[in-house]
Amino acid sequence: MQIILTCLTQVHFNMATILQNMGTITITTHKLQITIPLSKEEQFNIQTAPGYATNNYYYQNDTHNDGSSGNNYAQSYQNYPSSGTNAVQNSSTVPANSFSYQPQYNQWPYYHNHSAPSPAVNPVAGSSNIDNRVVNTTSGYSYPSAEPPPPGTTSWKSNSGASVAPPLQAPSVQEPQNQYVQHPQETPALQNQYPYQAPGVPVSYNYYTNQAPAYQQTAYPQNNTNANQVPVSNHGDQQKSGSLTTDSSSENKIQIPAIPRIAPGFSMVIPKSEKKIIVADLAKKPAYVSVSVPKNDAKAVQHGPDARSVPFSLRNYGMRNLSRCKNDAQRAACQSIIQQITSKALSDGTLLTKNWDTEPLFPLPDNLLGMTETSSANNSSSLSKSTPKKRLKSRWEPVPEEKVTEKVEPVAKTLMNGSAHHNFEAKNTSGNNWNFGKFDHSAHAPLNKITQRPFKKQKMGSYSSVIRNGNTSSDSDKEQDLTKYYASASALANSPEEKKRREHRSKRFEKSKDSSSKSRNSVVNKDVHTRRPISALATRSSENGSSLAVEDLDWDALTVKGTCQEIEKRYLRLTSAPDPSTVRPEHVLEKALSMVETSQKNYLFKCDQLKSIRQDLTVQRIQNELTVKVYETHARLALQAGDLPEFNQCQSQLKRLYKEGNKGCDFEFSAYNLLCVMLHSNNKRDLLSSMASLSKEAKQDGAVKHALAVHSAVSSGNYVIFFKLYKQGPNLNSCLMDLYVERMRFEAIKCISRSYRPTVPVVYVARVLGFLLNGDDRSEECEIWLKAHGAILSLDNSGELQIDTKASATTLYMPEPENAVAHGDASLAVNDFFARTSEKV
Amino acid sequence: MAAYLSMGEAHRRIADYLSRLDDAISQSDGADLASLLAISSAPASTPLSDALAAFPDFPHLASDRYPHLSDFLPPLLRAIHSHSLRRFGDAYSSFEKAASAFLQEFRNWETPWAMEAMHTVALEIRLLAEKADRELAMSGKNPDKLQAAGSFLMKVFGALAVKGPKRVGALYVTCQLFKIYFRLGTVNLCRSVIRSIETARNFDFEDFPVKDKVTYMYYTGRLEVFNENFLVADQKLTYALMYCNPQSELNMRKILKFLIPVKLSIGVLPRRTLLEKYNLLEYADIVTSLRRGDLRLLKQALDKHEDQLLKCGVYLVLEKLELQVYRRLVKKIHIIQRQKEPAKAHQIKLEVLVKTLKWLGITMDVDEVECIMACLIYKNLIKGYFAHKSKVLVLSKQDPFPKLNGKPV
Repeated sequence: MQIILTCLTQVHFNMATILQNMGTITITTHKLQITIPLSKEEQFNIQTAPGYATNNYYYQNDTHNDGSSGNNYAQSYQNYPSSGTNAVQNSSTVPANSFSYQPQYNQWPYYHNHSAPSPAVNPVAGSSNIDNRVVNTTSGYSYPSAEPPPPGTTSWKSNSGASVAPPLQAPSVQEPQNQYVQHPQETPALQNQYPYQAPGVPVSYNYYTNQAPAYQQTAYPQNNTNANQVPVSNHGDQQKSGSLTTDSSSENKIQIPAIPRIAPGFSMVIPKSEKKIIVADLAKKPAYVSVSVPKNDAKAVQHGPDARSVPFSLRNYGMRNLSRCKNDAQRAACQSIIQQITSKALSDGTLLTKNWDTEPLFPLPDNLLGMTETSSANNSSSLSKSTPKKRLKSRWEPVPEEKVTEKVEPVAKTLMNGSAHHNFEAKNTSGNNWNFGKFDHSAHAPLNKITQRPFKKQKMGSYSSVIRNGNTSSDSDKEQDLTKYYASASALANSPEEKKRREHRSKRFEKSKDSSSKSRNSVVNKDVHTRRPISALATRSSENGSSLAVEDLDWDALTVKGTCQEIEKRYLRLTSAPDPSTVRPEHVLEKALSMVETSQKNYLFKCDQLKSIRQDLTVQRIQNELTVKVYETHARLALQAGDLPEFNQCQSQLKRLYKEGNKGCDFEFSAYNLLCVMLHSNNKRDLLSSMASLSKEAKQDGAVKHALAVHSAVSSGNYVIFFKLYKQGPNLNSCLMDLYVERMRFEAIKCISRSYRPTVPVVYVARVLGFLLNGDDRSEECEIWLKAHGAILSLDNSGELQIDTKASATTLYMPEPENAVAHGDASLAVNDFFARTSEKV
Repeated sequence: MAAYLSMGEAHRRIADYLSRLDDAISQSDGADLASLLAISSAPASTPLSDALAAFPDFPHLASDRYPHLSDFLPPLLRAIHSHSLRRFGDAYSSFEKAASAFLQEFRNWETPWAMEAMHTVALEIRLLAEKADRELAMSGKNPDKLQAAGSFLMKVFGALAVKGPKRVGALYVTCQLFKIYFRLGTVNLCRSVIRSIETARNFDFEDFPVKDKVTYMYYTGRLEVFNENFLVADQKLTYALMYCNPQSELNMRKILKFLIPVKLSIGVLPRRTLLEKYNLLEYADIVTSLRRGDLRLLKQALDKHEDQLLKCGVYLVLEKLELQVYRRLVKKIHIIQRQKEPAKAHQIKLEVLVKTLKWLGITMDVDEVECIMACLIYKNLIKGYFAHKSKVLVLSKQDPFPKLNGKPV
């Protein structure tokens, strides 16, 4: 906001001068042209150094403009009209500026009209800005916070809008490199370049990247010539502005004497000797220098034109340019350009005097047209067309460029347009003037939009190099920086902007009227997993042409209605969309389920059948009591067969089904769930959440109570209770406990051998460890088990078999399970599985 | 909604807010930025939110005026607006967009000047997600915002948990993640975060801010309680307690809520005054039962507070105290026997134990009690042995009830 205000105040001053110097249209225009880059420059400075210096600078600026501008800063909005000269003019300026606020409602339209196209870049403003930046980038020089208030403001103050002022500022501002490059007096000489560069302008007309610098150049001569040219160049008509340059050369004389006056003033504030200090200062704050991609260095040097005679700085310059090349063709073109530059520099003797470090990089010749043409304009052409990777590291960083252009644009734009019409139509009544400006503006909006795009890219490129290089210099760890850079580059690839662009790109395809490909597209994009089976259906269903997101798809319309009447069906994992003729409808599935329930065949058959039933249910999206029943049946069968993976699948489906309100034996299954969690997954957190999720009624349920009792037996290690519960387990609780029995027994025998002395009868152990099922004495089995686990048995005086606990304490071990398999999961062993399942049949 | 706002006033307020934001960013004023981003702590009706209501075209205003912030300001304003209208789902979605844009920038900033703001964003996104989830659950929709916030914060964590000055802020985000994961019950997701915090060799844990360290230790301590690593849990929670601001009694209480069960399980009993001071009386009966060896009281206490204890995850820990209560009971019997007939004091008949339990209202058969005694010996709670033939628990003459001394059962 403050930035804009400064800008505004300047604009205002311009307007004032325009009014004062009504007769001298040329100068006024000139001034306008100047002030824009000027203001930009100051903003550039402000932004580059984000700290408090900015503010200081700012205040300074304000005071220079007018005492009352200080209020602007604080109050942000309405004060600036008070800055002084022409009240009428001010009020008219306000609405035109999209950033100012006026309490009248009728001015809102202005706001919108002006603000809407603001992304469109005003060519002049933008390009001049870039030029400034380019200078910074390549010269290793940046406009630090220490920079004095721009000469513009100062002179405005001192000369109070006298017509002499603008030419004074012009050279110093427009060609900053001259100022800084130790030849302040040479400014006029450099201006001589303009005519020479001007021819480059019309050629690059279509090629905006190249055009930008040219603009800058042409804008300059224009200052001295004809007001008409301003709008012309603004609209991208380069032909005329090219012809202008001749006029400008004649007018240069007027400026030359003025320059020394300003230039010393400049160097006074920034002595060149301080350059290093400033740079050092910059090291702390990112904003500076020297584009060089190291990997290309060696090569570039070799290719460099006439490496021996050329000064090192020029070689560097060439290298910088070369390093940006993406392919060999470009590199070759680049080299020829460099050669031309060198020979040109040789011919006019600037080879050694020119500061190549500050020389802007020429645009990469990426098409043949641009390639040959840019070479002639290269001296002033901007750095451009760096790879998209080299974008601004942080778009928000208090780095000026973006903000500056974008903020100044509207001002500049309205200014340009307004003044143009002002001049054209000799109108000085402000209200009309602005209206015209608006109209004019909107009329040219399309053009701006066209040109804006490549320009923006270029802008981005140069930003990034500024910042990135600043970082490089500020951090000694180069390697780290490089990786950082690449990281940031890749991050940028994912930046919202980039995404937006991609989205935009993909939308182009969506707009095509091919409905089938479109819907497919959208489905594919939205959900890769459902893509295959659905795409065909989706295409079918969305023939009306509206692209549907997955979540919007009418699933009911897609759901298969089975027609198959076969009761038995083998399970086959679907690899394509289901065929209704092979899918059984609900009533057939019911029959299939009862068939499985009554079948005498083994678990494998049943499992296969149940899986196919489940599949048919899923495909038809049947979720009701039948579904619950199928899953429950399968879960029980799996438990009985010890097929835990299948059980878990069913269990998770059941959990969901119960949650959705389908009735079933949910207490039974929450008991299974508890047992499963506590005995097999042994995850305390899961157990806690399972226990916490039990309802009061569930806790009263016998099966759940049993499961909870098992839990407390296990947690306290009470094997006696455990095996008691094992014997009385309701439903299939005991089946789940089965899987834990071995571990519990081993734990128990360890405990027994540690705590009993001197002996424990085997019969007792057999009893407490659940070897005596249904009353029949199976202590032999216990004996075998004990022996298998390394217990040492002995007969006591009465002939009863005892465990020698002291001896056993050290010899107990967990034997390798007999059915152990190499891959560690016995349930995956086919043979074993067959053995187990056939047993049950 | 406050009194009718003129368009101009609304516009001014919005513009003022925007310019403050912009200033904060351009001047690297982290604190200011943070305060401007704290949207969910703002009351429903603020000058700004009223202005947003009166001036519905605010996204344009923001993106036009600050085109470089166009992916940040409009969603932020939308979030503020939706939040003031109590449409939390929308507010969350908008805020997440703004937060992503912010994170994108934050990544690129060299210095951690915006750390405070980043933290505010992390906090806000969690709070908003919680509100949004409540709203979604109320309307019967799937509450998935907190999960989304979790994955967003994971990205933030990724941006912070790097070498360099930003790492200091990583622990704060970690703690926010913990809060989300604990709420969602996806605690296992904590592991990866913990690993990257604890295995980092280039950053000393002690260099993190104290408040974050306390929170971190609290949550990791809780995780260790889940895993029943009582010694580590004790360390972490004790650390948290020690560095916790003594002024914030609520936090102290939270820590103690987990530290007390942990301490109990390693044989350290709290004073009743402590329980009273921090209103943790649900543990009072349990502590009493441990002192008295009153098994019945333990079971009653566990039953009484079951839901609560299950919810906070210490139920299983307390359940395990059962063996300690048995031990206390045996010790009591031993002491009484020693007074009666010192010669046979170290032999405790099983039937005495069964009778005692029956007297406590717990009916257990001989086998079960025998098993418990075996377990006590097995777990080193009692020194001695059990003679099966004579059904007698024979206690060691030397130190039959060894102190736990910080060893978990």
